[in-house]
Amino acid sequence: MLETTAKSFEEIKIGDTLGPEEIHVSRERCRAYAHQAHLDAARFTDDEGARKEGLPGMILPGNMSLGLITKLVTDWIASANARLTRIGTTYRLPVQPDHTFVLQGFITNSNPEDRTVEVDLWMENEDAERLVIGTATVQFGS
Amino acid sequence: MPVDFDPALIGKVFEQTEPVKVTAEKIAGFCAALGEDNPLFTDEGAARKGPYGGIVAPPSFAVTFRNGRHFFSHVPRFGRIGMDAGKDVEFVAPIRPGDEITLSSNVKEIYEKTGRSGSMVFVIVRSTLKNQNDEVVAHVDHRFMHRVSK
Repeated sequence: MLETTAKSFEEIKIGDTLGPEEIHVSRERCRAYAHQAHLDAARFTDDEGARKEGLPGMILPGNMSLGLITKLVTDWIASANARLTRIGTTYRLPVQPDHTFVLQGFITNSNPEDRTVEVDLWMENEDAERLVIGTATVQFGS
Repeated sequence: MPVDFDPALIGKVFEQTEPVKVTAEKIAGFCAALGEDNPLFTDEGAARKGPYGGIVAPPSFAVTFRNGRHFFSHVPRFGRIGMDAGKDVEFVAPIRPGDEITLSSNVKEIYEKTGRSGSMVFVIVRSTLKNQNDEVVAHVDHRFMHRVSK
């Protein structure tokens, strides 16, 4: 869980950050996710199968990257009276396991009328390449 | 050049899956694989005191419901084999243990974009997830990208 979490809509300011949160994803964890998500394609489970598809090696399912970025938001919400209503992701580069990733985000907009905040999100590798980018909407209760 | 496809394809539901039962074990397995430690998703005692009155699945669990084996036979291909370019997910209601989820899919949109690497065609497939009470729990827009062969 994140050390800094959202408290209430009124306390959130544009520019507030989510993370950074560092996460190491092993091959075993990638395979475990693929198994749980019923993704049986070889590119998610072994290097040889992935190379046959022209990839540099085994990759994380896009859904797993979406899950990790989503987790950054739900960790930020934590026990606040708020819920994630929307998330969008773009997979820019293949994400390979056995690397350490940094997940980050920041508040880009807040709308008092419907008590929502908009968040920009990204997942980058050790070379600060943004592998996955996204946006999310969080709605706060009154 | 505009993309050539049958306009009747847009919006037509081409697939409706059988209900898939969500169990507490499935949610727990998913949380473990993702490294999820939020008590709302992992701790029945804590979740009972939370906003949903019990454990719910993490939001991204919604994208694990698979389309049927004939899914791609209904999705037009353009040029080389496509890749998953991203997703847009609208979370409408929580998914709970005991829910039975069905998924229906249609082609929402087809458009072409030209980038530095050439021409690409994007096919957006919208899957709507409903529970056993016919309530929508999520909309998932899958964005498939196809590089156009030269």
